[in-house]
Amino acid sequence: MLKPENLADNMTGEVAFLLGNEAVARGLVESGVRVATTYPGTPSSEVGDTIARFARKSGIYFQYSVNEKVAYEIAYAASLSGKRSFTFMKVVGMNVAADSLMTSAYTGVEAGLVIMTADDPSMFSSQNEQDNRHFSDLAHIPLIEPSSPQEAKDFLKHAFELSEAEKLPVLFRTTTRVSHQRAPVTFGDVASGSGKSTFKRNIPQYLPFQPYSSRMKNELMEKMARISRFSDETVLNQLERKGSGKTGVIVSGAAYGPLIDVVNEHDLDVSILKLGLVNPLPEKLVLEFLGNHKEVVVVEELDPFVETKIRSLAQMNGITTSITGKLDGVFPSSFEYTQNVIAGSLSKILPVDAEHVDAKPHTEIPSRPPVMCPGCPHRGTYYAVKRAVGMSKIENVIYPSDIGCYSLGVFEPFEMSDVLLSMGSSIGTAQGFALSAGQTVISFIGDSTFFHAGMPSLVNAVHNGAKMILVILDNAVTAMTGQQPNPGSSMGSLGDPAPYARIEDLVASAGVEKISIVDPFDIKSTMRAVTEGLHFDGLSVIIARRECAIYADQKKKKIAPLVPYYVDKDKCTSCRNCVEKFSCPAISVDSGTVSIDPKLCDGCGLCSEIYVCPFRAIKSVEA
Amino acid sequence: MEVNVIVAGVGGQGVVTAGTLISQSALVKGHNVVMSEIHGLAQRGGSVSVEVRIGNIRSPIIPKGETDLILGIEPIEAVRAAENAGERTDVLINIGPVEPVSLSMRGKEYPDMRELVSEIVDRLDVHFIDALPLALEAGDARAVSTVMVGAALQLGILPIDEESTLEALKKRFSERLYTINEKALKLGMKNVLLALHEI
Repeated sequence: MLKPENLADNMTGEVAFLLGNEAVARGLVESGVRVATTYPGTPSSEVGDTIARFARKSGIYFQYSVNEKVAYEIAYAASLSGKRSFTFMKVVGMNVAADSLMTSAYTGVEAGLVIMTADDPSMFSSQNEQDNRHFSDLAHIPLIEPSSPQEAKDFLKHAFELSEAEKLPVLFRTTTRVSHQRAPVTFGDVASGSGKSTFKRNIPQYLPFQPYSSRMKNELMEKMARISRFSDETVLNQLERKGSGKTGVIVSGAAYGPLIDVVNEHDLDVSILKLGLVNPLPEKLVLEFLGNHKEVVVVEELDPFVETKIRSLAQMNGITTSITGKLDGVFPSSFEYTQNVIAGSLSKILPVDAEHVDAKPHTEIPSRPPVMCPGCPHRGTYYAVKRAVGMSKIENVIYPSDIGCYSLGVFEPFEMSDVLLSMGSSIGTAQGFALSAGQTVISFIGDSTFFHAGMPSLVNAVHNGAKMILVILDNAVTAMTGQQPNPGSSMGSLGDPAPYARIEDLVASAGVEKISIVDPFDIKSTMRAVTEGLHFDGLSVIIARRECAIYADQKKKKIAPLVPYYVDKDKCTSCRNCVEKFSCPAISVDSGTVSIDPKLCDGCGLCSEIYVCPFRAIKSVEA
Repeated sequence: MEVNVIVAGVGGQGVVTAGTLISQSALVKGHNVVMSEIHGLAQRGGSVSVEVRIGNIRSPIIPKGETDLILGIEPIEAVRAAENAGERTDVLINIGPVEPVSLSMRGKEYPDMRELVSEIVDRLDVHFIDALPLALEAGDARAVSTVMVGAALQLGILPIDEESTLEALKKRFSERLYTINEKALKLGMKNVLLALHEI
C-alpha cells in the first residue's frame, strides 16, 4: 500500500486505493500548490495528516493554524505573493473563516487560491449540517463539487486554474461520503509550483475602502458573470447520460453515486446532467436540458441550492417544464442521500421500487457510545470536579462545555455538560449564565479550543467581572482529530520542535487572579483546586495538564511496554465504584468479579488511587 | 452483480484494516471497489464499521437489506450491523467479546452469547469463529482481523481468493508482519467455523 509520505512522488498513470481526503492531498501536488493551511476538523482532517507526511519532500509549506480564519488569511497572503495556496476545514470552520473570505472576494487574489469545506450531511461528526454551498452565493465566488475521490483530485486542478484565470478564491466542497470514501484513483503528473514570488503593493486593489470598494464590487459581479459563461463550457459540467427525453435529472456532489446506482438498478430512462461547477450555474446548458425534457428532477443533498436557481432560471425564461425537487416536497432537505432515500423520492414520480427490508433488531443491543480512552487525563479531571462539587453541597451547577474529546463528559457517569454551540462557546455562555442564572458556573475547554476561540472570550470575562470557574483541559495536542499540534504544543506542524504559548502566562496576562495548575492524575490536588475555586469570589482558572494518552503512548511505547494494572481479588469488595463512577473501558465486571483487561489498560494507574478504589485493591502488575 | 460487505467491530480491533484488505484483494482481482469509513468522535473503544462494495457501483453506501457479508469482529457489533441485513446476508462472528463501558457502568454484564445472536440466527446464515487464539498462534493478537478475512474466504461469498489476498497483504506489510498475517490468513481459512451449539 502506498505510504502517505510517497503520495507526492512521480507516479503518472498509476492507480492507488485512496481515501477522498488523500486524493485531495495528491491533488495539491498535481496542481502545483506551494502553501497549505488548516485547522483540523472531521471530515477534513486526513488531508492535513497526509500533507504533513510529504510536505518537506514535496516542498509544500504546510501549517496547522490556530483557527480557520488565520489559516485562510495565511493562504490568502501567500496567493497575493504569487504562490498557489490551499486552505481546508470542516463544515463549521467556514463560519470562522467567513469574515475574511467575504472581503477577499472583493480584493481578489493573484495565484490560485482554493478553500475547501468538508460538509457533513447527517452530522456524523459535526454539531449541525449547514449547507456551505451558500457561502459561494454570499461571497460571490465559484463553487466546485466533486462526487468521488478521483474527482476530488482532478477537480482541484480545475479549481486552481479557474481561480487564477479570474483572480477569485474558489470554494471547493466535499462531504463526508466523498472525503471518507476510499476508491481507486489514477494519478496525473506532478506539477512544479511557481518558484520565487513577491508581493507587489497595489492599494486600490487590496484595500477595501471607498472609493475602491464600489469598483471592487462591480468587478466581482463582472467576474462571476464571465464565470457563468465559462460554466457552460467547462468539462466539470457534463451531460452524462441521454434518455428518450421524457425525464431529465440534474445532480451534483455526493448524491451522484447513489443516484447512478438507483438509475442502473432500475434501468431508468433518464438523461443525467451532472454539475461539478455548481455556482455559477451553467445557464445555457440547463436551459437546453430543460427544453429537451418534459420533466426535470433535481437531486442534491441538504438545501435546494441548485433547485432554487433552476426554478428562477426557468421562470425568467418562460419555461414550463415540470421541475421536481425539495421545494415541492418530493425530496428531503435533511440528512445524506442514500440509494434508499433517492429511490424512495423517485418512486413518487418514476417506476422505482423503493421497498426495502428494515431489519432493525427487536431485541435491545447494548450501546457502545464513544468513550474517553483508557489513560485519558480528562477522566481524572471530570472525576475530581464531580467529587469536589458533590462534597461542596452546591447544587444546580451549570457546566458549559466545548468542542473536543472532553465533550464526552456529557455522558454517564459524569454528565457534566449543559450547553455547547461552537468552538470557544463554553466561555461566552459561562459568562452569560454567571450574569443571568444566579447559579455556580464551571466551564470546560480544551487547550486547542482555548487558543482557537477561547482567548478573546476569557479576556472579556475578566474585564466584565464574570464570576465563574474555567477548567482548561490541556493535553498538549488537538486530540480528537488525531493528535495534531496546536500553538501550545512543543512540536510544529511537521513534528519538529517549535516554540509554544504557555496557557498560564496568557491567562495571567488577561488579568485572572486565581490560577491553579494541576495534574488530573493527582485527584486530591485537582479536587482542592476546584474547592478553592468554588469559594473564590471572582473568576478562577484551573489548568488540568497532562498529555493525551494516545499521544503519550506513542512516545512511551518506544521506550518500554506499558505496564497494566490488575484487581487483587482478595482486597476487592465489589463496591463497583471504579466501574460505575470512573468508567474506564479497561475495567469490567464478569459474574460479579471486577477485572482489568491488560490489552486495554494503559497503565496510567489512576484507578488505583484511594479516591477511586478506597480498598487499595487495584495494583500494578510490576509492583 | 455487486458484493457488499460490512466489517463491524470496536475501535482498535482492525476494522479498517480488514476492510482495506478485502478491498485491495478485490482490486488485485480486477474488480471495482469503493469503501466507506465513518470515523466517529472517540479515538479508542467506540463502535466502528466500514462498508466495502465490490462491482459495478458508484455509491459507497450499502442499500438496506443488500449486505452479502457481515464480518463481525465483535459479537455485539456484528448484531448491531445486522440492521442492514437481508435475505442474502451471511454473518461471520468472532466470538471474543469486548465489554461496552455502558454495561459495566450500570452494573450490567455482557449479554449471554447465544441470547445475543438468537435473533439473527433465526433469519440469517450465521457462522462463528474464535479468532484470537488463531491470531496468537500466528504470532500477534492484532492479526485477528486477518484471521477473520481468511475465515470469510471459506464462505465463498467474496470475489477474492487466497492468492489475491496474499498479494494484497504483501503490498501492505513489511516482511515480518507479512509472515504473521500470511499465517493468520491461512489459519482462518483452515479452521472449522462453528455452529451456534458449539459456542
